Amino acid sequence: MIKLDHVSKKYGAKMAVQDLSLDIAAGELFAFLGPNGAGKTTTIKMLCGLLFPTSGAVSIGGYDLRRDGDRARQLLSYVPDQPFLYEKLTGREFLQFIADMYGLPRAQSASRIAEMIELFELHEFIDDLTERYSHGMRQRTVFAAALVHEPRVLIVDEPTVGLDPHSVRRLKDLLRRQADRGTTVFLSSHSLDVVEELADRIAIIEHGRLVACGTLTALREQAAVDGPLEDVFLTLTRPVEDKVTKP
Amino acid sequence: MNQALLFQKLRLRLLRNSWRAMTQQSSMRPLTILLCSAIVWTFIFAISWGGFLFLHTEVGVPLTGEIVGILLDLLFLSLAVLLVFSSGLILYGSLFASPETAFLLSSPVAVDQVFAYKFQGAVAFSSWAFLLLGTPILIAYGLVCEAAWYFYVLLPLFFLGFVLLPGALGGLAALLIVNYVPKRRKQVLSVCLTVLVLVLAGWLYRMVQAAPTELWREEMREAVTRLLSYFQFTRNPLAPSHWVSLGLRRVVRGEIGAALYYLALVWSNGLFLYVIAAAASTRLYRRGYNRMTTGGDLQRFPVLFRGRNHKPAMDNGRLPLAAVGKENHRESWMDYLLYAVLVFVNPRTRLLLIKDFRTFRRDPQQWGQVLAFCGLMLLYFANIRRFVEDVSGPYQNSISFLNLCAVALLLCTYTGRFVYPMLSLEGRRFWILGLLPLKREQLLWGKFAFSMTGGCLIAGGLILVSDLMLLMPAPPILLHLLTVVVLAAGLSGLSVGLGACMPNFRERDPSKIAAGFGGTLNLVAGLLFLLLILGLMAVPWHMEAYLTMMPFLSDRKSEVALLSEGFIGAGVVLGLLAGIACVVLPLRAGIRALREMEF
Repeated sequence: MIKLDHVSKKYGAKMAVQDLSLDIAAGELFAFLGPNGAGKTTTIKMLCGLLFPTSGAVSIGGYDLRRDGDRARQLLSYVPDQPFLYEKLTGREFLQFIADMYGLPRAQSASRIAEMIELFELHEFIDDLTERYSHGMRQRTVFAAALVHEPRVLIVDEPTVGLDPHSVRRLKDLLRRQADRGTTVFLSSHSLDVVEELADRIAIIEHGRLVACGTLTALREQAAVDGPLEDVFLTLTRPVEDKVTKP
Repeated sequence: MNQALLFQKLRLRLLRNSWRAMTQQSSMRPLTILLCSAIVWTFIFAISWGGFLFLHTEVGVPLTGEIVGILLDLLFLSLAVLLVFSSGLILYGSLFASPETAFLLSSPVAVDQVFAYKFQGAVAFSSWAFLLLGTPILIAYGLVCEAAWYFYVLLPLFFLGFVLLPGALGGLAALLIVNYVPKRRKQVLSVCLTVLVLVLAGWLYRMVQAAPTELWREEMREAVTRLLSYFQFTRNPLAPSHWVSLGLRRVVRGEIGAALYYLALVWSNGLFLYVIAAAASTRLYRRGYNRMTTGGDLQRFPVLFRGRNHKPAMDNGRLPLAAVGKENHRESWMDYLLYAVLVFVNPRTRLLLIKDFRTFRRDPQQWGQVLAFCGLMLLYFANIRRFVEDVSGPYQNSISFLNLCAVALLLCTYTGRFVYPMLSLEGRRFWILGLLPLKREQLLWGKFAFSMTGGCLIAGGLILVSDLMLLMPAPPILLHLLTVVVLAAGLSGLSVGLGACMPNFRERDPSKIAAGFGGTLNLVAGLLFLLLILGLMAVPWHMEAYLTMMPFLSDRKSEVALLSEGFIGAGVVLGLLAGIACVVLPLRAGIRALREMEF
């Protein structure tokens, strides 16, 4: 469903992503990890067609993002780390705008919006202007908007930042449920406990290079660490001189 | 749903909800905006109506003839240049720098539809001022010419077709600059603005040099005709501004067929250029966004305290010279200058002011406007004797007063446009300032000192040049300088104080902050203060000078002088008191608001 084929991306002279290849199947919950500045957000922006690879190709659902960008974007939803909402729209109007943007028929959009309001418990504030929403309310509205058109690919960047434990639990259940229904979930996060609990496969990127990709078990084997994902991550992303001195 | 309709629906909803939210918060706000707009509109209408009537009845200029045609040409050409820049800048911001951009570009919406949506917003925002400033002139023109009813119907159609052209040009320029010079886009903009100012200044200089010095002695109509001959370049048959001017004059003459021809010419060219811009956006918009995000502004400007080991430390209140690396010298001399000029300000506050100054000078949109206005005014003052051969007597008196009024208005615009938004622009980073180990009132006093210093330097310099060129005696020069200082202090106090009382931390565009409710209120308060100070401090002296020139008062000069001295003295004292009040009261209110502010 998501395919990155030898993708590289340069920022001026700096190589942000180097020769990255990934193949993610439908219904897979794929976690994408890496230290700050490793190239995660750049990769995500290339998946959404916001940035173009310097070399290589990105495709979603078989559509190349350079050639058939609009078709590819029709299949996906992107929830960035700082999501956008029109401050002068109500939550309901925003959901309706998204449904219209993705071309949902009127009757279908009405039922989907009702479902989303139910699912994310938006009743109390859905008819208020979004400028009055708290961070949690905004996040719930953004996820409702991302799912209202039933995307086949859901790309999520740092979704748990600023959420209370209840909301995090709700979010984890939602992501798992989406993947079980066949949606491909591409999750980028620093919350290693969330990733450990949810991910089918995990990729770790450092300085733009893919340093590991596989199930948690495979990663543990590669790092030669039999502990939580945090230990595996720290081992695999340890600076080279540390790896030499502290095997 | 059709994507174009979808965006229209979105815009209508956003407007409707904004209006509702504004009226629910306070009905005073829209009422004040409408009232202020009505006052400005009526004022311009009255001046224009009087001006056209004077030209027609007193000077005998035919209103559908060439002289008025040149004036209309110049009006629309100036509008076109302003619209190219303003819509280009607004489009650049909304196409590439707005948070909405990433949201829309990651959706399946066609890119030309996004461009169209942004284009309409930018053109509407950049040309609304024309509705306020241009329509009263043109309606007055129609009324004086006794134009038929269809003049008022065709007028908005001409305007709508016309704004497409500069809007599309601005949009194309924004797309091309971001695509082909992403690293140097600010520099390109600075160069364009500088070239524009230089060309304008050169043209004005040539016109002034060539203007007949005996303008006021000759037959008025002949002299006006000769002077206007220097505006011939505005009448280029390929200039759309000329088509609009010709079209409107044809409507006034009742030549409806010719008028419709020019209307069609304007619309067809406007739409054609828009289609080119929209087509270019399909190829260049996403590419430009990618270029700007990844290959664009990677250059880092040298910053005084930046560097691997630099810390913002002070050395007994002096600028920490040791912290300045070699590579920074060329960029930081202005900081040194400001630091030296603001010697009376607390050293910690001074560092904050240098931050504000850097932000200001690194944004060409900000200083470009100040430079353009000051440059044009300076050019006019420096060449004032070309217009008036004999600079004594009533001309000297009235022109020096009018120049003082012009400088005061510039000062009012400067504080309203640049100083009022300063605190709001701290935005969501305000907590950084809030946590600094200094009293919050120091922040406001610092911004006040920054504004007042800048205002005094700019306005004081301009009025000094004007008075010296007019060979004014020392007392009025000193009085004008004192007036400018009081104005700079009062207007700075108002703008900084009201800016703290009504901050808008959500908005990042200073022009939008200045155009909001608080900004409008500040502008109105500033204009009232300006009238008060000019009335108290400058009018008595100029009245005295005028009265002593009156022949019927020649035998009572000493009585007039004695009476006037009393008025002048009282005016200065009252003006100083009003200035102090306008500094203390708004700043006290601002400080109180800032102390209670939670962030």
